[in-house]
Amino acid sequence: MNKASVVIIGGGIIGTSIAYHLCKNGITDIVLLEKDYLSAGSTGRCGGGIRQQWSERANVRLAMRSVELFQKYSEEIGLDIEYYQGGYLLLAFTDEGVELFESNVKLQQEEGLDVKLLTKKEIAEKFSFINTSGVKAAAFCSSDGHANPHLATMGYAKAAENLGANIMTRTKAIGIDVINNKIQGVNTDKGYIKTGLVINAAGGYSHEVGQMAGVDLPTESYRHQIFVTEPVEHIMDPLVISFENNFYIRQTKAGNFVMGQSDDDEKPSHNENPGWRFLIEMTTKMPKFFPFLKQMRVLRHWAGLYNMSPDALPIIDKSTTISDFYYAVGFSGHGFMLAPAVGEAMAEWIAYGKTRKVDISNLNIKRFAKGVTREKNVV
Amino acid sequence: MKRLTKHPVLTFKRGKKIKFYFEGKELSAYEGETVAVALHANGIKNLRKTPKKERDQGFFCAIGKCSSCLMEVDGIPNVRTCITRVKEGMSVRRQRGRGEILD
Amino acid sequence: MRYLTELHVLIAGGGPAGLAAAIEAGKSGLNVLVVDEGIEPGGQLVKQTHKFFGNENFYASVRGFDIAKELLKEISNMKNVEILTESTVIGIYDKGVPVLHRENDEVELLKPERIILATGASEKFLQFENNDLPGVYGAGAVQTLMNQYGILPGENILMIGSGNIGLIVSYQLEQAGANVKAIVEAADRIGGYEVHARKAKRLGIPMLLKHTIKKALGGNKVEGAVITEVDENWQMIAGKEKEFVVDTICIAAGLTPSVELVSQAGGNIRYIPELGGYVPERDNDMRTTASNVFVAGDVSGIEEATTAMIEGKIAGLNAAKDLSRKIDEKKLGNLKSQIENFRSGPTSQKVRQGLQKLGFTLKSESFTKNSDDNIEKYEGKKRPVIECPEPIPCNPCETSCPVGAITVGESINSIPTINYEKCTGCGICVSKCPGLAIFMIQELLDSEKAIIGIPYEFLPLPQKDESVYVLSRDGEILETGKITQVTNFGNKTPVVYVKINRGYIKTARHIKPVSHSKNDYVCRCEEITVEDVEKAIDEGYTDFEELRRYLRIAMGPCGGRTCRLNTLKILSKKTGIPVEKLDPGNFRPPSVPTTFKAISEGSEKNE
Repeated sequence: MNKASVVIIGGGIIGTSIAYHLCKNGITDIVLLEKDYLSAGSTGRCGGGIRQQWSERANVRLAMRSVELFQKYSEEIGLDIEYYQGGYLLLAFTDEGVELFESNVKLQQEEGLDVKLLTKKEIAEKFSFINTSGVKAAAFCSSDGHANPHLATMGYAKAAENLGANIMTRTKAIGIDVINNKIQGVNTDKGYIKTGLVINAAGGYSHEVGQMAGVDLPTESYRHQIFVTEPVEHIMDPLVISFENNFYIRQTKAGNFVMGQSDDDEKPSHNENPGWRFLIEMTTKMPKFFPFLKQMRVLRHWAGLYNMSPDALPIIDKSTTISDFYYAVGFSGHGFMLAPAVGEAMAEWIAYGKTRKVDISNLNIKRFAKGVTREKNVV
Repeated sequence: MKRLTKHPVLTFKRGKKIKFYFEGKELSAYEGETVAVALHANGIKNLRKTPKKERDQGFFCAIGKCSSCLMEVDGIPNVRTCITRVKEGMSVRRQRGRGEILD
Repeated sequence: MRYLTELHVLIAGGGPAGLAAAIEAGKSGLNVLVVDEGIEPGGQLVKQTHKFFGNENFYASVRGFDIAKELLKEISNMKNVEILTESTVIGIYDKGVPVLHRENDEVELLKPERIILATGASEKFLQFENNDLPGVYGAGAVQTLMNQYGILPGENILMIGSGNIGLIVSYQLEQAGANVKAIVEAADRIGGYEVHARKAKRLGIPMLLKHTIKKALGGNKVEGAVITEVDENWQMIAGKEKEFVVDTICIAAGLTPSVELVSQAGGNIRYIPELGGYVPERDNDMRTTASNVFVAGDVSGIEEATTAMIEGKIAGLNAAKDLSRKIDEKKLGNLKSQIENFRSGPTSQKVRQGLQKLGFTLKSESFTKNSDDNIEKYEGKKRPVIECPEPIPCNPCETSCPVGAITVGESINSIPTINYEKCTGCGICVSKCPGLAIFMIQELLDSEKAIIGIPYEFLPLPQKDESVYVLSRDGEILETGKITQVTNFGNKTPVVYVKINRGYIKTARHIKPVSHSKNDYVCRCEEITVEDVEKAIDEGYTDFEELRRYLRIAMGPCGGRTCRLNTLKILSKKTGIPVEKLDPGNFRPPSVPTTFKAISEGSEKNE
């Protein structure tokens, strides 16, 4: 393997989704480089949630398209990825929180999303496992849900491979050859690949890969921790989030509860080791809202990287200085849920010169020149 | 029929996966295989019914000599499927009797 | 013709004979075109996975498909030799030779000055009831499916015929994972070489002599077979039937030369059963009675790839000589005496008888071992025992021994002898022997144990410290033993050493992995079996972390304590990578599942 039409750097859900969709659109002369094994990075460490409740219209559309593709996934790819549309329950504990949800829900409903506001009473009736004291209201979208990110990545990779792509794991990109601002090839620890088009889907290492091409991407990686409990019978349909109390929780198909929080005092790093303080904070906090958790056992605790952008929204664009260098980075902890639509959009952009299904122009890199407003709906 | 993936002596390099049609049903194969092999890989051993007694037959020699494997390929009858490459979109059917020449 | 303007030699058939002829004719400066019917050239070689007999000059101990590669490589460097595939010589006329190009369905009329027919042979068909059911295949067809395209022809096979092909294909079927239920032979003895027979016997395949197949059972495909005993006159004996449940019946009843073109060219053919059927009349130079037409390989008489290549070279050189090219007469003479030597051993008796009917006088020699090996004298020393029971033209054991301890000698049919003083116990001969007839033995003098080393060409390859079944020459389980070492020689025939009870040192000659049932669990928490893990590895998930993500191994409450090591061992066995070189995956806290209460309340106390 020493040349390819397209080289994708990154074997997580974004990279493999792009690879699959490129193949689907007729571009099969692809090499995907993954320095470890598939889903070794953020994808394989994430909570697996898939939601459409975003605060910007364009992002709602992108997420809705993603859900459409997730719904088709098992039939198209032939792998059951445990996709469960049990909904997302966003809890509001303050008046400001309720106001924010009200305006978001209005926008989302305009986009055709099946989202609605629930009163405290309705929440208690529908979801008896929640301790609703302190809860004022919630936004609930029943078509939101979750899936197994490992299987989703492996499915895309296998499907791309069957269509002709070359998926190379344990192969690290170590440099990108650029002459006169044109990409000549990618140097890896297993040899050189001649190519004219590189896609940066390197997740936590997107900045470093950008530098290889001489492109300065405004992304930074932060450690985020997460843990699972022992499995139990199914009781929780939706993924439940609180932005104000800083947590998310969902129950997997196997019956484990996955949960996490954001740690504001984290500094940018590539640290993927779990920390004790997180566990104390979470085990103290969570049973307050979910009393059944008190007797449950923590099974496994790990960490992964959120690749943050200045406004916590993805950066999907094509370099105007180095050609041809595309990037889908800075997903800030929300890459998995958007991956199918992002893969499709990137593939369409490359194959046809523009995206066909969704408009991702709001996710361009030029937006940062205008000043940054951070997306609020994030944990 | 099982596709071998591991073998103590051989490594099987398979070409691109392609689709072809058997009696209208879509099946998959790999570029470089013969039609008879592709059918076998999909579990199809019966390649024809003999013209006189309508007995089921598969192939015998697999190298184009015994004429047991004759099938209709892309409308053309009496094709030796064991030495004919399977191609993307190919339509393979069992012959009626000696094979039909006028549609 | 693509770019060669004058066609000197047309060779029909791109198997070992045709390719060897093309190389000689091409080296002499002639323009040569090889026309082959197959999708890829190489003839029967492409399907052969076993190592060939013979000597070094004729690729002894090289596997058939590798020989094809080497021949084709040599030809690819010759600008004056071209190979046309998917094409057939459809006749030989006065006006010329029409060649059908199957891909674009066109016929081209060529006018070569000389023709070499190396068209090989076709399978003999056996007569029995329902012998036309799908699932009844010639041995060559089974090899094509299995070795060329990697499709298992069936799960349970009945092999008819115990000639070399029946024995070899049975072995190859087992290598591919099929189950050969029996080899059926009508004569009262095995037809092929004893070493081939032993390879099959070791696997426990029953050899049913004096039996023949009576009928195939099944509605629209083979579902079973009925065989029956025969008497001295080959007549079926009533009441002696046996039934097998099989999905494939493989007919290895021999080959018959494809002489159509010889006859069309005007060459005489004669029926000589010892050579397989109708064969062309020809002389020592492989020239037929049609003066411009030569023959080489199985078409001139069913033999082996080695003789096919020698005949091809002879034909190629003579074609060149005919067309006034200078050839190496000494080389030609050597080739003729080489082939005579090959045919001088007891295993070539039938061929000699056949050739005699064509007017040839061939020497025959009887061969015994020249001296006694004195194997008992060297008790305790790691050394080979050569169980080469009959004189076959073959000597890679001699040529591969780095210290010259093995002697076959001038006459290639001789049975080898070993000088145990010189022998260093390296085991190379075990790996090189095409008949897999050499074994290492070593008595462990301070115990009741011994070690034997066997050539092992099956998957999964056992690992050090693994327990396996130790089998006798008939494939019967003697005991279980532990693997002490696996040595790889880079030729796909590793030598596996296993510790056994000393009492079995003369009888233990094969091993078999201890088999797993469907309910062998690796991961108790997630209920994952050995089969599940092996299947995932086959699908390409060869990293422990990938297996973990794909199957949920080690994701259960035990945190991998029960299953991690076993999973790594399975991974090691399937991939051949030793466990110490595998990534064992991540170890995550907490090391025992701990309640929220314990963590949260405990920490408060510590503050």
